[in-house]
Amino acid sequence: MIGEGLQSTNQRKHSYVQDHVEVGFFTDPSVCIGCKACEVACKEWNQVPDDGFTWSGNSYDNTGHLGASTWRHVMFLEQDRQKGNQVTGPMGLLRSQSDMSAVASAEAEDPFRWVFLSDVCKHCEEAGCLEACPTGSIVRTEVGSVLVQNDVCNGCGYCVVSCPFGVIDRRPEPLHDAGGAFKCTFCYDRQKSGLVPACAKVCPTESIVFGRLDDLRARGAKRVEELQQSGYKDAQLYDPTKTSVRGIHAFFLILGEPEAYGLPPKPQIPTIYLKSAWASAFATAIASIIATLVGFAFFS
Amino acid sequence: MTNGPQAEERLEQLREEAWKKGVVPGKGVDVAGGPIPRKPGYYGQPVVKPPVWTWEIPLYFFFGGMAGMSGVIASGAIIFHQVDLARVAMWLAAVGGAVLSPILLILDLGRPHLFLNMLRVFKHRSAMSMGAWILSAFGACAVPGLIALELHIHQVLPGTFDQLLRLVAGLLIFGSAIFGTLLATYTGVLIGATAIPAWFLHRTLLPIHFGTAGLGSAAAVLELLGHRILALNFLGFYAAGVETALLIWLSVDKHGIADRAIHEHGSGWLIRIGEVLNGPLALILRFFSFVPFAAISFLLGALVSRIGWIAVGKVSGADPESVFAAERY
Amino acid sequence: MAEAHPVGFRWVMKAKERGATIIHVDPRFSRTSALADIWVPIRAGGDIAFLGGLVRHIIENNLFFRDYVVHFTNASCILREDFRDTEEGATGFFSGWNGEQCGYDRRSWVYHGDGGLSFPERDLTLRHPRCVFQTLRRHFARYTPEMVEKICGISPVLFHKVAEALVAASGPDKSAAICYALGWTQHSKGVQIIRTAAILQLLLGNIGRPGGGILALRGHASIQGSTDIPTLYDTLPGYLAMPRGDGSEATLRDYLAQHTKPTGLWNNYPAYFVSLLKAYYGKNATAENDFGYNWVPKITSNHSFFEYLYDMADGKMEGMFMMGQNPAVAAANSRFQRTSLSKLKWLVVREMVEIEAATFWRDSPEINRGELKAEEIDTEVFLFPAAGHAEKEGAFTNTQRLLQWREKAVNPPGDARSEGWFMHQLALRLIAKAKQSNDPVDEPLRVLNWWYPEDDMGDPKMEAVLAEINGWYTDLQPNADGVVFGLDREGNPHHGPQVDGFPRLKADGSTASGAWIYSGVLGPDKINKALSRNSTDYLGHGWGFAWPADRRIIYNRASAKPTGEPWSDRKKLVWWDQGQRKWTGVDVPDFPPDKSPEFRPTGNERGLDGIPGDAPFTLHEDGLGWLHVPSGLQDGPMPTHYEPLESPVHNALYSRDTNPAVHWFTRQENRFAPPGDPRFPFVLTTYRLTEHHTAGGMSRFLSHLAELQPELFAEMSPELASELKIDNGDYISIVSLRGAIESRALVSRRIRPMHLNGKTVHQIAMPFHFGSSGPVRGDATNDLVPISGEPNVTIMEAKALACNIVPGRLPRGPAFEEWIKKYVPQGGPPNLHPEQPPPGAPCGRAGGGHGLDGKIDNR
Repeated sequence: MIGEGLQSTNQRKHSYVQDHVEVGFFTDPSVCIGCKACEVACKEWNQVPDDGFTWSGNSYDNTGHLGASTWRHVMFLEQDRQKGNQVTGPMGLLRSQSDMSAVASAEAEDPFRWVFLSDVCKHCEEAGCLEACPTGSIVRTEVGSVLVQNDVCNGCGYCVVSCPFGVIDRRPEPLHDAGGAFKCTFCYDRQKSGLVPACAKVCPTESIVFGRLDDLRARGAKRVEELQQSGYKDAQLYDPTKTSVRGIHAFFLILGEPEAYGLPPKPQIPTIYLKSAWASAFATAIASIIATLVGFAFFS
Repeated sequence: MTNGPQAEERLEQLREEAWKKGVVPGKGVDVAGGPIPRKPGYYGQPVVKPPVWTWEIPLYFFFGGMAGMSGVIASGAIIFHQVDLARVAMWLAAVGGAVLSPILLILDLGRPHLFLNMLRVFKHRSAMSMGAWILSAFGACAVPGLIALELHIHQVLPGTFDQLLRLVAGLLIFGSAIFGTLLATYTGVLIGATAIPAWFLHRTLLPIHFGTAGLGSAAAVLELLGHRILALNFLGFYAAGVETALLIWLSVDKHGIADRAIHEHGSGWLIRIGEVLNGPLALILRFFSFVPFAAISFLLGALVSRIGWIAVGKVSGADPESVFAAERY
Repeated sequence: MAEAHPVGFRWVMKAKERGATIIHVDPRFSRTSALADIWVPIRAGGDIAFLGGLVRHIIENNLFFRDYVVHFTNASCILREDFRDTEEGATGFFSGWNGEQCGYDRRSWVYHGDGGLSFPERDLTLRHPRCVFQTLRRHFARYTPEMVEKICGISPVLFHKVAEALVAASGPDKSAAICYALGWTQHSKGVQIIRTAAILQLLLGNIGRPGGGILALRGHASIQGSTDIPTLYDTLPGYLAMPRGDGSEATLRDYLAQHTKPTGLWNNYPAYFVSLLKAYYGKNATAENDFGYNWVPKITSNHSFFEYLYDMADGKMEGMFMMGQNPAVAAANSRFQRTSLSKLKWLVVREMVEIEAATFWRDSPEINRGELKAEEIDTEVFLFPAAGHAEKEGAFTNTQRLLQWREKAVNPPGDARSEGWFMHQLALRLIAKAKQSNDPVDEPLRVLNWWYPEDDMGDPKMEAVLAEINGWYTDLQPNADGVVFGLDREGNPHHGPQVDGFPRLKADGSTASGAWIYSGVLGPDKINKALSRNSTDYLGHGWGFAWPADRRIIYNRASAKPTGEPWSDRKKLVWWDQGQRKWTGVDVPDFPPDKSPEFRPTGNERGLDGIPGDAPFTLHEDGLGWLHVPSGLQDGPMPTHYEPLESPVHNALYSRDTNPAVHWFTRQENRFAPPGDPRFPFVLTTYRLTEHHTAGGMSRFLSHLAELQPELFAEMSPELASELKIDNGDYISIVSLRGAIESRALVSRRIRPMHLNGKTVHQIAMPFHFGSSGPVRGDATNDLVPISGEPNVTIMEAKALACNIVPGRLPRGPAFEEWIKKYVPQGGPPNLHPEQPPPGAPCGRAGGGHGLDGKIDNR
C-alpha cells in the first residue's frame, strides 16, 4: 500500500527464491497515472536498448507493444465511458442550478475516460514459449516465473509464434545483443538477492504490486469487489485460469473488456494443438509409405 | 463520423428533438477526421507476434520435405531391386536433408554459432525440438546409408563385408525413410501448433500438405533426372490428387475473420496458386502425359505454397481481429 | 500534478483511496484529470473569475468558517475612506492608479488610522461598511456562476458541484488543500490568481491546518531553494530585500527603517540582515562601517531576466554565465532569445549535455533559415561540463520547504564539475585578482569572507557552507562545544559555536547567518538535520529539515481555536497546554511558545510582542491572514479578473481588459495580438509531460526517455480538427505574432471547445520540451510565447496566448520568410494591442526596480 514505506511488499527484502515461493504481479489501472516509470526502470536495470523513436499518435503511447526491447508497456485508452463516478462530461448545456441530478445522467450520456495499464509478460502457468523452446533456454524459476537464459538461446524464433499474448520477440540488428529472444525476466537477478523487480519498486502509486501469488490473487479479488461497489461497473480480473494457459502469474485488473487492451479473452497454449497435428502427420507418413510401396509393387 | 447513413439518421433525430425541446443535452455524432480512428483491439496492434522467419524457412520446408520423402522412395526402390533409382534418391536425401537443410536452418537462426544448442534437450511438446532431432536422425541415417550404398555398388569391400555393408545400407535407408516421413510432415505440425490463427486452424491440413508435397517433389525431381518409371508416375498422380483434395478442403472450410489472411489477403493467393500448380494443374498435365511439365508444375507449386504459408502467417499474426475470432474454434 | 510530480501524486492517490475528493481544474484533460473525481475544463486565463466565483458563493451563502475568519483573518479590519475598489464604475482600477509611472500609489489601500498595519481597528461583527469583509463581498459581487460560465466556459451545474465538494471538505472537522503549479504562476496576473486561492482557503479556514493549505508545486528539483537562497536579483537569502541604489536606501539605517516592521516577525529584520552581512564579510564587517553595507550591490532598475535580455539584444551586454538554464528552448520568445544571444561577446555555459543555448551559433532554426550566419556571430561560447546530481554534495529544498541533503554517490567523469566547484574556484581567482588591484571598484571582492575549506577535488566542503547558512556566533570561543568547521582555509579559527535557530540572531554583529530561515538545520548539536532519514511521525519530523525551525505546517497556530483548544480532535495539530502554559502538539508550534491565547497587546509593543495570542500569521504586522493585502503587492489588494494579454474576448466584468500594471516589453519582435484578433483565433496553452524535463536537456538526450515522447505535438479537439480538416497525426504549423513552429496534431476528446458568452473558443495545448539538438528534436514551443512581466515578479504569460493553425509542414530554410508573411503582418508599430503602451513608455518597458516594496515610492 502507498505509504507503507519499507513495509510494503513492493519495497521490503524477501527470500522468495530461496524459499521457492510463487510470486506474481497484480497490476491495477484504477490507480495507474500513466507515468511510465515502470518502462524506464525496467530499461535502466536490464540495460534494454531503445525501441526506436517513432511518434505513434496513439494517445501518449509511443511504445506500441511488448517486444524484445520493451518489457513493460503502458497502455493509454481514451474511451467514451465513465471511470467509476468520475465527472468529465459535458459542460454548458445544463443551465438550471437545481439540475444537480442532471449531472449524473448527463455524464451517462456523454462520458469520457482515460485508462492506463502497464502490460508485461504474463509468466503463464502453462507457458507457450517455454514449451516451444528447443534449446531448453526458457525455464521455470523457483519463484514460478518464466525465464529466458540468453546465453543458451540461439534465436530460432519458435517462442515468438508460440506466445498467445504476443510478448516475446527476437531482437533485430543492429541493436545490442541482437539475435536472441528477449522478454521480461521478472528481475530474476534482483529477486535472487532479495530485491523486488524494478518496475514494482518504482511504481509511485503501487499500481503494480509484487508479492506472493496467492496473496495477490486474494488482493485482486478484493479490489475488484471494492471497485464494483464504488461505481466501477466494468472492473474485472483478467486471469485466464479456465483456459489451457491455466492462469497467469502477472495478472491484471481491467476496466472493460480484454479486447480493448489487446488481450485475448480466451488465450490457449499452442501445445493443445499438438495432438491433432501429430496425428495428421503420422497418418500422412504412413500413407506416404503405403503409396510408395503400392507404386513400386503394382507399377513397375 | 459525420459521413455515413447512421450518422445522418442520428443527426435527423437530433434535429427533431431540438425543434421540440430547444436544447438536446448529451452526445451528438462523432465528427469526421475526429479522434483516433477506432481500430480493433488496442490501436490495431497485433495480439500475438508474427513469425520472424525469413526466406530460409520456406526453402527449408521445400528441400527438407523433398529430401525426407526421397528416403522413402529409396527404400521402396531397394525393396523392389531398383538400385540405380535408390542411389539417386539417396543422394537427393543426403544432400537435401543433411547439407542444404541444416545450412538453411542455421542461417535463419538469430545466433547461428549456437546451433548445436538445439540438441541440448529433447522435448516432445516442442515441435521444433522434435524437428531438430528428426533432422539429426535423418542425417545420421541418410549420409552413412548413402556411403554404405555407394561402397556396396562400387564393390569396394570384399565378400562378407560387402554383405554386411548391404545389410547396413538397407537398415540405414529404411531408417532414413522413417525419419524422412517425419522430416517431411513435422513442419506442418511445427507451424500448426502455434498461436497464429491461420496456422493453427489448419493444423490437420498442413502436415498432410507438407508431407504429400514432399513426396511429390521427390518423385518429380527423380523423374526430371531421367527416371521415367511408372512407380514414380503413380506417386506423381497420388500426390497431385491429394493436393487437389486439399485445395478443395481449404477453399470450402473457411473460418471467417479468423483466417481471412488466407482468403482475403494477397498472401493467401500464393497458397492457392501453389496448390493449383501442385494439385489440379499437375494432375491434368500428368494425365495428358506431359510428365516433365507436370513435375515442374508440382515443384513450383510446392515451393510457392510454402512461401505462401509463411507469408500468411505474418499477415495473420499481425491481425488482432483474427485472434479474437479464432477463439471460438 | 500526476504529470509533473508523479511521485508526489502518490499521496493524492492515497488520500483518494481514503475517501478524499480530487478536483482537477485545467484547460486540458491530463493524466491528473484521469484520476480525479471531477475535471473542470477551464478557459486558460479565467482562473480568477472561477475562484472569485467560489469566493462569492461562499460569502453570499454564509458557508465560510466564521470563527476562523473573524479571529484569524483581517476580515474585520477597517479600510481607509479614500480606498476605491475596481467595482466603482466597473473600471477595473483600484484607487491610486498613476498611468505615467505605470503603477499604483498604494497609500489608500492600507488600514484606516495612524497605526500603519499594527494594531488595526477591527469590527468583529464584520458589519462595518468599510471592513475588509464587506469590501471583499462588494468586490466579488458580480462573480456569479453565470459570469463564471461566460468567462471560463464552466457550466453553473459543474460550478456548484465543485463548490459543494469544497465546502463539504472544510470546517472544524475537515480540511481541503489546493495545489497549483505553473498553470497559475505563468500569467500576467499570476500572483493574484494565487491570492484568490489564499482568500478562498482563509474563508474556508484551511490555512495552517493538517490536510489544508496551499501547496505550490515548484517546477524544478530545487527551485524552492533557488528562491530561499535566491538566484533572483531583487531578494537576498531568506526573502530579505536587495537594497536600492536610487538614494532612498543609501545607509544601513535608511534601509533597515524601510524594511523593519514595527510588529510581527519582521521586526527582527535588522538581526537577519546584519547576520547576513557578517556572513558575507566576516571580520571586515563592523559596527563602524555599517557592517559592510556599502559593499552590498544596490539595484538601480529591474535587473530580471527579460530586462537584461533586451539589453543583450541591444548590444549592451558583454558576457553571460548560463548555468542550468536553456533560454534557447525554455524561455519565452525563444526565437528572440537565440538571436539575442548572438549579440554577446562571450557566453559561458555549464551543462551536462550540449544544449541549444550553447549551439545557437551553428545549429538553430535561425541558422538554418539564414537569419543568422555562423561566420557573422562574434560570440565566444565556453562549454563547461557539469556534474550530475548524484555526483555532487548538497541539499535540495523541496516544495514543502523541506531541505534534504544529498551525499555524493560517485565522482563526476572527466572534467565535469559541480556548480559549487565552479563558483568557488571562480571566486578564488576573482578575489586574488581583486587583492592585487587598488581599484576601489574591486573593494567588495577584496572584503568578501571566502573562508570555505575544500576537498581534494577543489569542491568547497558543502557542509561548511550549510554551517554558515545555519549561522554561528562570531566571537571565537576556543573551548566551546557546538563548533562546526571552525577553521578557515588557512587553518585559523574562524567562528564560534553554531546558533540553534533564528531567534538567536542579533543585529549587533555577534551572530552571522547565511539565511535566517534555514537556521536550525545544523545547530550546536552538530547534526546535519537535512541528512537525517528517520521519520518519527506522519508529518515527517526526523526526515530532513523543514524551514523555519522544522515547522512542517506553517501558521499552525490556526489549527487551534482562538481560545487555544484544537478545532476538533480529528484535526488537532498544535494547541495550548494550560497546565504547562505553553504551546505544544504534533508539529513544532509556529508561534511564540509561551504566548497565551488570551494575550492582547496594548498598542505599544514591538516585534512579536505586538501580536495578539489569537493571531497566527506572525509575519504580518497585524498577525492576521490577509484577505485584503494592504501592502506588498503592485497590482491590487484584492484579485481582479483581467483577461490574458492575448485573449479571444474582452473582459466581461470591467471596461479594462488587461492587468494595468503589467510590463509589456513592447518591441517589434515581441508583439501582442489585440483581443479577438481573427488572424490568431485560437487560444494556445503550454504544459509539461511526465516523460520530459523542461527544456529537454535531461530527457531528450536520454534514449529511455526520448523514445517515450519523441516528437512535438499539439493537442486539439475533434471539433477543431474537423473544422480545419486535420487528421490525427498530421503535421501542422502553428503561428503567432512572435514566430512559427511545426508539430504533429494529436486529436483527442481531452481538449474541449469552450463556449464563452455565445462565442465558441477553441483551445490547443502543447508541451514545450523540444529543441534543435539531441537524439530527438523538434521546434521550440516558446518561439510562440511573448515576453511579458507580471507586475510583482516579472513572470511571463506562457499559459494563455493567441495563435493560428495552418495544416501542413512548416517550410524550412529561406522559404520560411515568404511563408510567414502570409500569416503574420510585417511592419507597423510594435504595440498592436489597444492597451499596450509604445516602447519606452512606462509599462512598455519596465523602469525602476520592484523589490518587495515596488516601483512607486510610497513613503
